[in-house]
Amino acid sequence: MPAIFAVDPHTGVPIYLQLIEQVKRSVALGVLSPGERLPTVKQLATDLTVNPNTIARAYRELERDGVIETSVGRGSFIRQSGAGERAAADLSDVAGASLDAAVREAKSMGLRRASVRELFSRALERWYSADGEGKERND
Amino acid sequence: MSGQEQITAIEIGALTKRFGATTAVDDLSISIPGGAIFGLLGTNGAGKTTTFKCMLGLARPTAGHIGFGGRPLAPEMFQAMSYMPERPALYEWMTGAQHLEAARQTFARYDGARARELADLFGLDLRKRSRTLSKGQQSALALVMAFAIRPQILVLDEPSSGLDPVHQRHVLDLMIDAAAGGATVVFSSHQIGQVERAADHVAILHRGKLVLQGLVEDLKAEEKIVEATFGDDAPAMPALESNPSVRRVVRQGRLVRVFVRGQGDGVVAGLQALAPTSLRVLDQNLEDIFLVAVGEN
Repeated sequence: MPAIFAVDPHTGVPIYLQLIEQVKRSVALGVLSPGERLPTVKQLATDLTVNPNTIARAYRELERDGVIETSVGRGSFIRQSGAGERAAADLSDVAGASLDAAVREAKSMGLRRASVRELFSRALERWYSADGEGKERND
Repeated sequence: MSGQEQITAIEIGALTKRFGATTAVDDLSISIPGGAIFGLLGTNGAGKTTTFKCMLGLARPTAGHIGFGGRPLAPEMFQAMSYMPERPALYEWMTGAQHLEAARQTFARYDGARARELADLFGLDLRKRSRTLSKGQQSALALVMAFAIRPQILVLDEPSSGLDPVHQRHVLDLMIDAAAGGATVVFSSHQIGQVERAADHVAILHRGKLVLQGLVEDLKAEEKIVEATFGDDAPAMPALESNPSVRRVVRQGRLVRVFVRGQGDGVVAGLQALAPTSLRVLDQNLEDIFLVAVGEN
């Protein structure tokens, strides 16, 4: 069973979007390498107990985004060239949306700009200080 | 769905069914693509069972039409069709094995090895007369018969009622497996979580009328709640009430919750102009969407 994917059908976030994000994350982090084969639609639908058309939709969008390629009869694979870069770029959009939501939430709780900036710096210190790896990734 | 137009397997056109003065199904139109798992949701008395009966010729529609692959229902179609009624139709003096034997004799597509595999899956003792089976085991027997004929169309009315959570999951797995093999599945359930998992299409019925239908995933992406809090009682918002993307506005003192279709950007901007103390956009899961659709939230 491919434990690298897990979806939560009961949230308001569509399952196919959850899956797309997880595949991109795995590709960007090198958990899935170029050329690596993904489970078939049927296999993944059965493993996750999720509608097969929903899985197929995720695969179609991943293909359109240039992260995977599908050849009839052989299955779906992580693309040989550029998949990592494309996945990383898309993930940066996802991260941006998370940050945006977090700031909106902070504002909705009545925090002032300076307090939010202070919280943000503290989070940056906590997660980006030790080895500087995060900085390189952001360059 | 984009890039994969599927043929319509089942077409329900302007179906109406009246019993005396009661309208059980009111002008219902649904089209179900081949290979779909179509979940029908509704409170008790919404018209789900009557819809199923009309689809399968067990009740005569007052008006409207039903088509299977573009043709009206014909006797030979039942060879590749399984219907599981809400209360399993079993002969109480017959054993499970005898029920399966009857299915074997009736259905050319009956697969005996598959039937035994499914009986094992549900822990079913085929030597017992159906009268002596628990409600859950009776459902399991009906399910074994439904899936053992390897049907192309499955109509399942509350297929997991009486089953324990493990067996309920098996039912979902069987539906998913059937759909992945090209079958079309229509089912009703009170458990929205099951529809959320297994169904790609959903229709919500309320008092015989269709109140919402679409792809589960699209409904989740399109239905949002914009919530605003104000320092004092929430101001009047006539513009909001007339906004076509707004489904519903709920006001409670300082709090306003706006149920919107779409991303709610217009509503967010409109509320922001009223200087709320807090403003946020919330996702809705299928249960939230259902409750709003039937007016219970």
